[in-house]
Amino acid sequence: MSLNKNMRVFIVDDYNTMLRILRNLLRQLEINQVEEATDGGTAFDAMMRNPPELIISDWNMAPMTGLELLRKVRAEPKLRHIPFIMVTAESKTENVIAAKQAGVSNYIVKPFNAETLRAKIASVTNVAA
Amino acid sequence: MTNQVTQLPHAHDYLDRVIAELRALKAPQKDTLVGVLQYLSDHIRATRAEIGAIKGGAGGDQLFGSTADELEEIVTETARAANRIMDAAEAIEGVASKVDPASAAALTDAVTNIYEASSFQDITGQRITKVVRALQSMESKLQSLASAFGPVEGDAPALAEGDAALLNGPQLSGGATSQDDIDALFEAAVA
Repeated sequence: MSLNKNMRVFIVDDYNTMLRILRNLLRQLEINQVEEATDGGTAFDAMMRNPPELIISDWNMAPMTGLELLRKVRAEPKLRHIPFIMVTAESKTENVIAAKQAGVSNYIVKPFNAETLRAKIASVTNVAA
Repeated sequence: MTNQVTQLPHAHDYLDRVIAELRALKAPQKDTLVGVLQYLSDHIRATRAEIGAIKGGAGGDQLFGSTADELEEIVTETARAANRIMDAAEAIEGVASKVDPASAAALTDAVTNIYEASSFQDITGQRITKVVRALQSMESKLQSLASAFGPVEGDAPALAEGDAALLNGPQLSGGATSQDDIDALFEAAVA
């Protein structure tokens, strides 16, 4: 089964370069409906206006981190059901556990490759990887 | 100690005076005590000189200021380079749709590799930012230490002279001379 090419994805990262990489890799997966923000607060406000079908977020951002964004999303009835993938360089076990406890759907450690991204998206959107 | 001996430089002077007074005494048991106090005094003097050299060598107020600026410039430069690499990759990807399927697949694979590799900028940027924060924290602690140890003679650093003074490395974008300015200088010299 292939990915839903019409899925609306929201990507969040404070590095514009990483946003561009994610956008390009998603385009290669033929996912073109992509919104983006460089911090958690801006992302949350935008997602409240137009909820996406998948969130891909960095962890280490200011003023609102990816973990705080995840908690806020999970506490918001309008957004809590949306799959949330954390893409981060924070690879310690305690980070992964904290993200899992906050309700993350999957976790990608940077640097990552296109196949990992595709597989994780397939996994959280219930498509056979 | 009285109130006037509240800073380390004063305490150090006081210690040296005590040592001098003890030396003048004829008590036979004084030698060990004088030895210990002299050891402490020498250590304080050496530490003050070392801290003074760090402070002076960095130009005073900002011990690591320029080092942090240099590191932040690395982040900016690598971001610029990564974006140029991706400009080129996107252009190649645009061509892929106009060639035969086998060539298109090969081009797309290569472009995917470029996108994946470009994430180095994010990782190096985060690592460098961490180093900058550590430097800023060390700077703050050293400033406190330097302030507690007070001024030391010979604080001024030995400035580089001659050809060595010309070796400043790559310039930060704000302080660099542009190629246009350099060309203008050459044209003025020729005229």
